[in-house]
Amino acid sequence: MSTPTTFWRIAGMSYTQYVTRAATAVRNGLKEPAKTKALQHETFSYNAASWEAGKIGPKKQVNKLTNAGISV
Amino acid sequence: MAQAGAARGMATEKQIFNQIQSTKNIKKITSSMKMVSAAKLKGDETRLELAKPFNEWTNALCGKPVHLDDLENITYEELPQKTLIVPITSDKGLCGGVNSFISRSVRDAIGKINAQGKECDVVIIGDKGRSQMSRSFPEKILRTATDIQAPGNFNLAAALSAELTAAGAMNYDAVMIVYNSYVNAAVYHQYYKVIKPMAVEGEGESMVEYEFEPDVKSEIMGDLYEYMLTSQIYYCFMDGAAAEQSSRMTAMENASKNAGEMIDTLTLQYNRARQARITTELIEIISGASALEG
Repeated sequence: MSTPTTFWRIAGMSYTQYVTRAATAVRNGLKEPAKTKALQHETFSYNAASWEAGKIGPKKQVNKLTNAGISV
Repeated sequence: MAQAGAARGMATEKQIFNQIQSTKNIKKITSSMKMVSAAKLKGDETRLELAKPFNEWTNALCGKPVHLDDLENITYEELPQKTLIVPITSDKGLCGGVNSFISRSVRDAIGKINAQGKECDVVIIGDKGRSQMSRSFPEKILRTATDIQAPGNFNLAAALSAELTAAGAMNYDAVMIVYNSYVNAAVYHQYYKVIKPMAVEGEGESMVEYEFEPDVKSEIMGDLYEYMLTSQIYYCFMDGAAAEQSSRMTAMENASKNAGEMIDTLTLQYNRARQARITTELIEIISGASALEG
């Protein structure tokens, strides 16, 4: 792979991480009460589990984008 | 004399009465569930309408979703050598056939793909899909994402596509998302959408008419693929959520209707049993009285 060109890529972020952070910045720029309403659109939560040879591994709760996709 | 009915194996008046009461309670619960689903459907429908225009562009880049109307006619021949199948199912039950249709389609797809000598693996979204599909093909499952907090948003889709990347989505030739699509409150269809990473050079290089700034096209195409995957997961998730609510509404309405019919049948039985009891009591009294006289 050639050397990365954008700063966020050099910092190790993926494009979706960059875009969602940019969206957070836009939402933080709003005035109340629109701000709290918009920030509610950011929260999410689910349980992720890896499977090995047909057996499910331990479940891990994911509610931050940086925690997503991490093998347990 | 009331025990005679029970000795003969027929339901006694008391038992039928209890059955009627519990069926009435069930009917109340299912009709309230139907109203809750109808209210939630409104919100899901709005979210879906908002999500639709933001996903139209993916149809231009990776083809339209394919309708899974008749499983026998779907061949999956356009799929490349290695595919990652992502079925989107619900976490909660009592929602009609949404999840079993998806499980059936995925099972059929895996059979046909393997018969063509190609490979595929599965990342399941939703608990109901996990429980159904882990019985049929547990060795093909890579990851599962369950207990998703409703309603979904784009950050959720971003996290789910990160899960796909961690499961190795970049090593597969295509990602196939299988989902339910909401048509209206009574109808939903199954679709699958194939997302392929776009070739950066050589034959079949995509977007040759465009100039890329900065000049690293491969980086931008990688970003675009990631974004396309996230956008498609977002749209399919919204679609699936609306379809789930509409299916639950229909299922609960049918359950309430069936409960109502059961109550009617049971009430007739109850009245017959009650009248039989009254008749036998009268006969006892009269025969007792005539025995005294005679």
